[in-house]
Amino acid sequence: MAISFEGRDLTNEEQREILDIIQENTDMHIVCIIDNDAEREELFRKTLEQRLMELANNTGQFYKGILRSGASLEFETSVVIIGDVNHGARVVSKGNIIVLGALKGNAFAGATGNTNSFVVALDMRPMQIRIADTIARSPDKPVKEESKEAKIAFLEDGNIYIEPLTKSVLQDISL
Amino acid sequence: MGEVIVVTSGKGGVGKTTSTANIGTGLAMLDKKVVLIDTDIGLRNLDVVMGLENRIVYNLVDVIEGNCRIRNALIKDKRYPNLYLLPSAQTRDKTSVSPEQMKKLSDELKEEFDYILMDCPAGIEQGFKNAIAGADRALVVTTPEVSAVRDADRIIGLLEANEMKQTHLIVNRLRMDMVKRGDMMSSEDVCEILAVDLIGVVPDDENIVISTNQGEPLVGSDTMAGHAFMNICRRIIGEDVPLLDLTEKSSIFSKLFGKYRKN
Repeated sequence: MAISFEGRDLTNEEQREILDIIQENTDMHIVCIIDNDAEREELFRKTLEQRLMELANNTGQFYKGILRSGASLEFETSVVIIGDVNHGARVVSKGNIIVLGALKGNAFAGATGNTNSFVVALDMRPMQIRIADTIARSPDKPVKEESKEAKIAFLEDGNIYIEPLTKSVLQDISL
Repeated sequence: MGEVIVVTSGKGGVGKTTSTANIGTGLAMLDKKVVLIDTDIGLRNLDVVMGLENRIVYNLVDVIEGNCRIRNALIKDKRYPNLYLLPSAQTRDKTSVSPEQMKKLSDELKEEFDYILMDCPAGIEQGFKNAIAGADRALVVTTPEVSAVRDADRIIGLLEANEMKQTHLIVNRLRMDMVKRGDMMSSEDVCEILAVDLIGVVPDDENIVISTNQGEPLVGSDTMAGHAFMNICRRIIGEDVPLLDLTEKSSIFSKLFGKYRKN
């Protein structure tokens, strides 16, 4: 049975006392206390979201295979895709996205709002990249044959930057 | 026991029906017992390309609904007695047939024929699902154009999701002159994007239009496309045939006259 205290604000000791009295004198088993304090609820909710976002960035899973046009994959955690993401395919993650192959489709990292999320690809030629609330799209005129090196897309000052994956950039990544 | 091959593409107009007709005829020329099935219900055209439209009495939907036996609906080809066509219905639509019914039909035909070729309609809905229902392997046809390749990618994804055991690629209507100028994707470019084994490259050939209008598939004839299709048939039966050198187009005479014309 769950109990909720309303009316007067009780301190923790007072709440404990009441719970003890109920336990001694009745057969009721109090499982939890429902808190009606709006402020505290908001705080808990924010903290939980924060923890979940960090968790999403800090845990990951693997996906092996080519994501073909029309396929859409969504992940709660960060993901490492061993294969290509073709045009017309979509990857969504609450964390980071790493493509060990060519990224030619759409990648959406930090889906719940984590602005620290990044997208890495060995062959970065995406249609669109979205990190948290910011979208970037590929240029209308295709850039002729850039060097095939690993690149990283990250969010800074509200803009998405795509840069080669060098040591200095790696050091700046925060999870 | 026969093999059911579905010829599909996603995009319309890339050459599925033409390929089905030519590959089927080619396999018959190699002494196999072949049946072609047009699964495009409502927009049938395999019969036209084969030149057999005036011999149609019963069609695929009649067989599925039990109005006639398979024997009655099969049409023997004009030129090759071991090649048959099961035409589609022009007055119905794709909801008239279900994938289970198609599988049952192809299982029955497997007992009698070496190869059963299903000409798949364009799209990814009921018609596609019907055509792949009983198939053992798939041939995906595409042209070297961005839109066709995108749709072929989708189709290959759907085939993989439906656990198609073998998928091969045919690159159709390739123009080597445009590839050389860099205006068209090469077959290697297409294969790199689609990551599927190539089974043949067919060049763009005027003779295809002529052969379609006359209702006589040109496989085996001394034309570029004819050779290409025959090579595909040989590869299907298991022979190891090297890819045609499609740059070898002009004869010595046209090279000489070409030089004079340029001057």
